Parts: sequence; structure tokens; C-alpha cells
Amino acid sequence: MNPKKPLLFSLTGVLVALTLILSACGGTPADVPPGELTGSLSVLDWAGYDAEDFWIDFKNTYPNVTVNFEIGISDADIYAKMAAGNQADVFHPYTGWLQFYVDEGLVEEIDTSKLANWDKVPEHFKQIGQFNGKQYFIPWDWGFTSVLYRTDMIPEGVDSWDALMDPTYAGHISMWDDGPSAVTVSSYIHGYDETAITADQLAAIQEEWIAQRDLNLFYWAGEPELVEGMTGGDVWAAYAWQGAYATLLANGVPVAYANPKEGRNSWVGVYGIRKGTENLDLALKFLDTKLAETTGNNVVNLFYYGHSNQDVMNGITDATLKEAFSIDDPSVLETTNFTPNLTAEQRDAWTAMWAEVKAAP
Amino acid sequence: MDRRATFWILYLPPLLWLGVFFLIPLLLMFAFSFRPDMRGDFFGVWKPTLEQYAKLISTGSYWRLLGISSLMAFAIATSAVVLSYPIAYFLAFHGRQRAGFYLVLLLVPFWTSYLLRVMAWKIMLGTEGVINSFLIYINLIHEPLPALLYNRNAVILTLVYVWIPFATLPILAALQRIDISLFEAAADLGARPFHQFLRITLPLSLPGVFAAFFMVFIPTVGEYVTPLLVGGSRGSMYGNIIQDFFTKAANWPFGSAMSMVMLVGTLILVAIATRLINLKDFLE
Repeated sequence: MNPKKPLLFSLTGVLVALTLILSACGGTPADVPPGELTGSLSVLDWAGYDAEDFWIDFKNTYPNVTVNFEIGISDADIYAKMAAGNQADVFHPYTGWLQFYVDEGLVEEIDTSKLANWDKVPEHFKQIGQFNGKQYFIPWDWGFTSVLYRTDMIPEGVDSWDALMDPTYAGHISMWDDGPSAVTVSSYIHGYDETAITADQLAAIQEEWIAQRDLNLFYWAGEPELVEGMTGGDVWAAYAWQGAYATLLANGVPVAYANPKEGRNSWVGVYGIRKGTENLDLALKFLDTKLAETTGNNVVNLFYYGHSNQDVMNGITDATLKEAFSIDDPSVLETTNFTPNLTAEQRDAWTAMWAEVKAAP
Repeated sequence: MDRRATFWILYLPPLLWLGVFFLIPLLLMFAFSFRPDMRGDFFGVWKPTLEQYAKLISTGSYWRLLGISSLMAFAIATSAVVLSYPIAYFLAFHGRQRAGFYLVLLLVPFWTSYLLRVMAWKIMLGTEGVINSFLIYINLIHEPLPALLYNRNAVILTLVYVWIPFATLPILAALQRIDISLFEAAADLGARPFHQFLRITLPLSLPGVFAAFFMVFIPTVGEYVTPLLVGGSRGSMYGNIIQDFFTKAANWPFGSAMSMVMLVGTLILVAIATRLINLKDFLE
């Protein structure tokens, strides 16, 4: 009836035998030389970080491992994707958006003994990725947030975050399109405790930003949009990361980065490993090489962001970069406010507040 | 092959496609709008709640924005139809053997990305843009007009531009279906060209006009890319708020509820409009 059946059986038999022989000859994956290691790793990252420059050490060490990137457009987007069962092995959230991954059991604890570059990360950075005494994330990129302004349009300078609310600059202000950041700015200005915003304070913050909307030209979504607005002279004062500052400085645009009396803000980007990934070993190797020097230098030199490897930061000699990171003025870091982690309730309330600001009459 | 088999072979692929990529996501969105929040197993069973709808109902600014977005869509669809009618008329009756070539010219903008065409309007309307530079050059103004970009007018202007070629096609199709002998008969009976247009061309092209109107109106109510790029702080539309709940808030349940309300709202508006149009036909 079915003459092919015996052949099929024999083929299967050969395959099983071959597999057995091959697995008996091979060792454990740890014994495979890096150059011969194969496999594939999936990374959920932000646009731009998929460029080889930002994982060059991994590429050079493990040339036969395929790395596939999926792009997330915001912290919320990355979190929602992971919560919805995205199968990425590694993902890249930022401070403020870390707690829920731990609470919802979406992130794997990291065995830092497997990271050769871990010693080069300062302790205060390591702590950012620790929850309940366990290391869930490794810190990677970091930077400041402050008010960036055109020195030719605002010669008097900016010494407070309230410049973003100043009617003198009406039509020439640009805020980042982000609710939690709006809450942060208002907290700095009014001295609220950012980690314990009350309902009344949130209502006041909403009113404050609705009023600010008449002064605000546009809410910027990506750094290039802000850089374009400031270069053209439409935007005089903006909520900005120091990447935009360094880009504009390098382009010869007259700008300064404020040291507000309330202190700057600082954020840290981290990498986490998805709980239950089948590629744990590769994911750890990816994280370790993310901390390596060549990759770190590229982050600093190409994106003007800081890197968690202290050797990389100590090696900065470029004057523009030194200025951007305030390397010669340690007092800036002492007064900087680090972004605290949001709770799920704060996330929902603060983002809804921002949506209402944008929808307000 | 019997007819039933032919039917299924022809219809199964599009039905599967619609089912997998349209119907199931729509049902998922519907189901999500009854979730209390994003916590817990994403695709597990949850206790349905009307919490999201209650929140939406109590937030007046969202309703107002839905109204504004519908009005904007109405203005955009009307303008696009009015502006594309003469183009379609020209192509149908005066294009002659070159009509095909003109049609290609009309569709040339589609060869570039939608995003690029919207960005081009930023260059047109910006303070250092084409319009301001020209007005300063001819000494009509001395300072650039800041009011051209980053407001609702810029959104309307850009969207009308984007939709004109789309709106032209159904009107053109309707005009091409008109029997030329009707015009000859009208002329024999002494109707002047303007009367011919009012009594023959316009009524017979109305199905195309309405098709064009709804083709523009329905997607424009939920538009979000153009307001994001040229709308500025005060130019947000209802679609932007939906997008924010999905991509900036990680609050899919509320975004889903907002989407369902918009979907139902648009369907009701279209149903009312269709009823009104039929009624008019009936009265005639």
C-alpha cells in the first residue's frame, strides 16, 4: 500500500543515529570557541541601537551568531510588547520603567559572575538594576535631562526648569511628548516629592501643563525633530537630553545646557533578559559584550550618551563631550536628580494626565 | 471543476486574510477594552469590566476632541471632494487621448512615501519655509508668519492635499460611466452646458462623490500621523490620544475602549448619512 514507508523509517533511523554520534562527539556549549559559536539572539531595542556600532564587541567575538533586532518606539511600547508575550531574548528599558518587569515576572535574574566586564561598572550604576536584592538589569547608557536653550535668543540664560513655563518665550518652547517627564519637571519646580505625588498635586500639574501648551510650539517625539527646531531658530528653550546638546554644539549652533537650581535630571538605560528565554547563555554573552570598551566608546562618540563602563568615561578627551557630561564639574552630578521608578498606578495616572493635557480645549 | 469549488478557491484566501488580520485583531481589541488594566497574564482569562468606558465617558475633553476630529474630517473630506471634482471632470471629458497620462501625473505623488509628503509641507509652511520666504521676498511681510505651521489649519491643509488624488478616482469612475448620448439629447432639448451639468452630470456622478467623501472622512477621523508632524501642541486629534495610550502609556485597555467608541461613532455617522442620502433619492 505504501512503498515509501520503509524508506522513511530508515531515514529517520539514520538521522537519529547521526544525532547521537554527533552529540557524543561534541562538548557542552561552554566549550565551543567563541568564533565557532552559532545560534541566534533576538533583541528588542530602540531605533538606532540596532546599528552594529552598538554591539560591535559581540559581533567581533561571536561572528557566527545571528542577532535580530525588533524596534520599540518608547518605554511604554517596549513594556507592552514584553507583557504581551514578545519573544525577544534581550530588551532595553530606561529608569522609571523597570519595576513592572520585576513585578510581572517578565525579567530573568542576571548571574553577574558570568559577566567579565561587570567589575568596570561603578556600584551606584549596578544598584539601578537591583530589585529585592537581586540584579535584574545591567546598566548601559546614561545621560542628563535639562533645559537646552539658544544663547542668542535667551542671552540672560536659564537657571530654572520654570523656563519651560516662561511666557517671555511664548511660541518658542518645546517639551518632550511624555507624561511622566512633565510630572518630573513640575515636581522639581514646586518641590513636590516625585515618588509620592498626591491627586491634588497631579491635578495642579495637569492645569500647569494645559496652560503651558499655549507657550509650547510642539511636543518633540524624537531628538532629530528637536535638533531641527533649535537649529532653525523656532525653538529657543526645550526639555532635552544631552545628546541634542552635543549635536547642536558640534554643528556650531549657539546653545547652552542649563544647570537649573533645582538640579538636572539623569536617566539610565539598562538591558534585561526575558524570563524563560532558551538563549540565556547567548543573552548573557550579549550583555557582557555590551559593557565592553569598543561598544562603549561608540555610544559616547556616536550618540553622545554616557556608558556604564567607567574605563570608557575616563578615556573621554574630546572637549565637547567633556562639556556635555560636565566631566570637569563634579558638582553637577552631586545635585542631579535620578529618575525614580514608577509604580503601575503612577504610570497609568501620569500618562492619562498627559493625554488629557493634549486633548484639553 | 464544480461551481462550489471555484467559489471557495476564489474566496477562501481573501476571507482568511480578512479573518486573521482584520477580524481577529478587531475582536481582540474589543475584548481588551473590557480589561481592568495591563497586569496579569495577557492572554489569560480576565473578569470583564466597564471601567475603561466609565473613565472615557467621564472625561469630557476626549468627547470634545472626538467631535473636533469629526468636524475636521468633515471639512477635509468636503474640501478634498470639491477640489478633486474639477480634476475628475477634466480627466473624464477633456483629457481625450492624454487622459491616461494626466492620471499618471495625478498619481505621481504616491510614488514617494506618505511621511515624506507630509514632511514636505513642514518645509513649505515653516518660518523659514517656502511660503514665508516668498512673502518676505516680495516685501509683503517683514517677519515670518509663525501661524502657518503647528496648528489645526496646517493639519487640514496637509490632509486635503494628501487626499485629493484619492478622492479624484471614484468621481472619475462615476463620470466615465455617464452615457454621452444624454448630453446630446439635453442639447437637442435646448439645455445649456450649465444646466446639463446641474441636471445630468452632477446627479449621475453623486455616487462617486459620496464614495470619495466617505473614503476620505472615515480614515481622517482617526488620523494621527499628520497632526503629530504639523499639528503642534494644540493640533492633536482623537487618533493621537488613542496612539498615546498604546505607545506612550502602555494602557492598551483604555486605548482599545477609545478605539471602539470611535469605530461605533464613525459607523453611526456613516449610517445616518447613508440614510439621509437614500431619503433624498426616495423623495426625488
